[in-house]
Amino acid sequence: MPDTAQVIETQGLVKRFGRFTALDGLDLSVARGEVHGFLGPNGAGKSTTIRVLLGLLRANGGTARLLGGDPWSDVVELHQRLAYVPGDVALWPSMSGGEAIDLLGSLRGGLDDARRDELVERFELDPTKRGRQYSKGNRQKVAIVAALASNAELLILDEPTSGLDPLMENVFQEVLGEAKERGTTVLLSSHILSEVETLADRLSIIRAGRIVETGTLAQIRGNARTSVHATLTRTPAAADLAALHDVHLDGARLTATVDADGIGPAMSALAPYGLESLTVAPPSLESLFLRLYEDEGDAAGAR
Amino acid sequence: MSAPAAVTGAPRLLRASLHHEARSFAPWIAIVTALSASSVLVYPWVFPTQADREGLATLVGSNPALGLIFGPAFDLSTADGFNAWRALALGGLFTALGAIFVVTRATRGQEDSGQAELLASGVLGRSSRLLTAVAMGLVMSVVVGVVSFLVAWACGGGVESTALLSATFTATGWMGTGIAAVTSQLGAEARASSSLAVATFGTLFILRGFAYSVEAADWAIWINPLAWMTETKPSVDNSWAPLGLAVALTAVTLAVAFVLQSRRDFGQGAIAPAPGPARGRTRSPFALALRLNRGSLIAWAVGFGVLGTVFGYFTTAITDLLSADEGIAQILAAGATTPEDLFGAFLATIISLVGIISSIACVQMVLRVRKEEMEDRVEPLIATPVSRPRYYAAHVGVALLAAPVFLTIAGLVIASFASGADIGVTFGEALGQALVTVPAVWTVVAVSIAVVGARPRLAIAAWAGVVISFALTLLGPTFGLDDWVLGISPYYHVPHLATSAYSWGGLAVVALVGALLCGVGFRGFRHRDLATS
Repeated sequence: MPDTAQVIETQGLVKRFGRFTALDGLDLSVARGEVHGFLGPNGAGKSTTIRVLLGLLRANGGTARLLGGDPWSDVVELHQRLAYVPGDVALWPSMSGGEAIDLLGSLRGGLDDARRDELVERFELDPTKRGRQYSKGNRQKVAIVAALASNAELLILDEPTSGLDPLMENVFQEVLGEAKERGTTVLLSSHILSEVETLADRLSIIRAGRIVETGTLAQIRGNARTSVHATLTRTPAAADLAALHDVHLDGARLTATVDADGIGPAMSALAPYGLESLTVAPPSLESLFLRLYEDEGDAAGAR
Repeated sequence: MSAPAAVTGAPRLLRASLHHEARSFAPWIAIVTALSASSVLVYPWVFPTQADREGLATLVGSNPALGLIFGPAFDLSTADGFNAWRALALGGLFTALGAIFVVTRATRGQEDSGQAELLASGVLGRSSRLLTAVAMGLVMSVVVGVVSFLVAWACGGGVESTALLSATFTATGWMGTGIAAVTSQLGAEARASSSLAVATFGTLFILRGFAYSVEAADWAIWINPLAWMTETKPSVDNSWAPLGLAVALTAVTLAVAFVLQSRRDFGQGAIAPAPGPARGRTRSPFALALRLNRGSLIAWAVGFGVLGTVFGYFTTAITDLLSADEGIAQILAAGATTPEDLFGAFLATIISLVGIISSIACVQMVLRVRKEEMEDRVEPLIATPVSRPRYYAAHVGVALLAAPVFLTIAGLVIASFASGADIGVTFGEALGQALVTVPAVWTVVAVSIAVVGARPRLAIAAWAGVVISFALTLLGPTFGLDDWVLGISPYYHVPHLATSAYSWGGLAVVALVGALLCGVGFRGFRHRDLATS
């Protein structure tokens, strides 16, 4: 199979379930060796995309290439080279977690036993419990260990940390970082932005079955505004606040947003009114998310 | 209104549950009603004359294997008597099965799926969910009784005997409810609980048929709750008293269930599972399929050993039973048939029964694929280098291999009895009869392979092969159907090895149909979307 730079490449992917269109012309590309954050709210089409990429669903239109092959017809060859963690892990009720890890691992052609044991330890997983006795977070750990203990060149992770506690989420971030250092390509879907923020080289944001924004964190942030919270000694005059957007004044307390290159002028505009306290927050992805969705919502409403 | 705290919220939950679950009652109501009403309808049409009716009695008397399923025929000379013989045992069994599934689904099924957790965290007494489940089982049984009575009566059934017959359906459903309420407290999960209840009922059912067929002592009849129903003898004695016993048994089992339930932890059975191994040895799709079906394979294998013993013992009693029947004696005396042919046909019938029962087990194993798919456990496996055909072949392979295993187990036991019974059947013929039945079972199972592979939304249709072959093989002759209709059942084409003449052509066609259905299933499974939650 040709070794292309793009590990995942879809063009105009369409998937319908009856009358409902889940994917509506999706263009996604993931380069070799990168951790690609795949972001979107519930129901945007993340899992559907992943299932098409895994050959579980057959697309109605468009093209999809995975590791240089066709995800529907080259299933076996491709799956030897990838590992997958579903967002909602279902285990066999009477099978222990350890058995499930070994089953999934051996179907994939074997696990790195040393790494398997190390991961079990680091995730504090009890591998002797039966499937039905695990909590959601622990079921998730079983799938994560099975996937990360393999030597797959591509990891497809569908909201992998749902149900993990914050400590385990840290462990997950570490482990994923190590996989990245080994050169593994990762498609990491999530609706929690902080989860992908630290690791993702590039992000794609999906909404209603389409990619609405894609790029590096800095590129995406570049379009977003910094938020400013300030307490002033005097109420400012509206005319002086032209450099600020979304201004909201509650007596002497001001909240507003400023463009990435407009922080200096904004500070100059506020200083004369006596700054008692000031918080300037870099654009969080949350705010970006909200803005993207508001825009899209307006556009959709206007159509 | 003040209810005891333990059952707070039960009426409201019952109303909501009935609203959502009532649809699942329909098939059971329909099957039982059709069974009873059709008897009344077809009787005057198929058996118009006295001679026809005597012929029917001879037919039934000459093949005691029929008695294993239907119980004794007290009076086949009237439509009501015919209905009582044909519908009582099976109608009760189906009502009880419906009740068992309703109760298990509303108790352990909900606990396994997590629905019960939502409910139990609401304002709901400790016993309310069980009470609701039990009430649903009882209500369903009553509806079966009322509907089947009204329809059979409208079709021309006598008032009292039809009412009593329908009352036995309800009473059997109530006992099923009681037993399921108990087993729901015992099993480790829903499937184990319902299997336990179905196994209990199946055992009682076979023992009843056996006890009557070998004309066992009274005590052997009266210790079996299902035999109480037979003892009501609708249209002959119209005795209502045994129904009281059924109500009492229901009350006792329900009391036990509520006590057990109050001592049980949520989501756990009476037996806590031991820790599992930290490392796994299940490393291929086939090993996984075997592992998932291990429990039911062992249980069914034991069941077929028992069934073989019951049927096998039966062959030793057949000469007495046949010689006691005047009609048979006349036929034999007239040279219309030979004892050899009669025994050969009898052997083929009981082994067809074994085949039909084993097809139930095998179809369950094929349907396991659908269950795994719906519960998101296929997705992670297909995401590994396991291809779809390989995954499907593993499960289908286990189901198809189970058939010869089950038939061999039962066949060996039956053969060892039959060869010593002095009925002119050798060990080889009896065991061979079991083995030639295997292709017929495969074809019935292939229906489910096609359905689960190609049209999984119609999973219920996976049972079509079992239902059709069962109906045609056992009920078909009593409908007076033509041979070409009876020939739809694959068992019709199984050669009767112990008779004087038989052919293999039919079986080859049966095998071909089975292979085609498998092809349809595999093609479908490769090309369809997997179910997504």
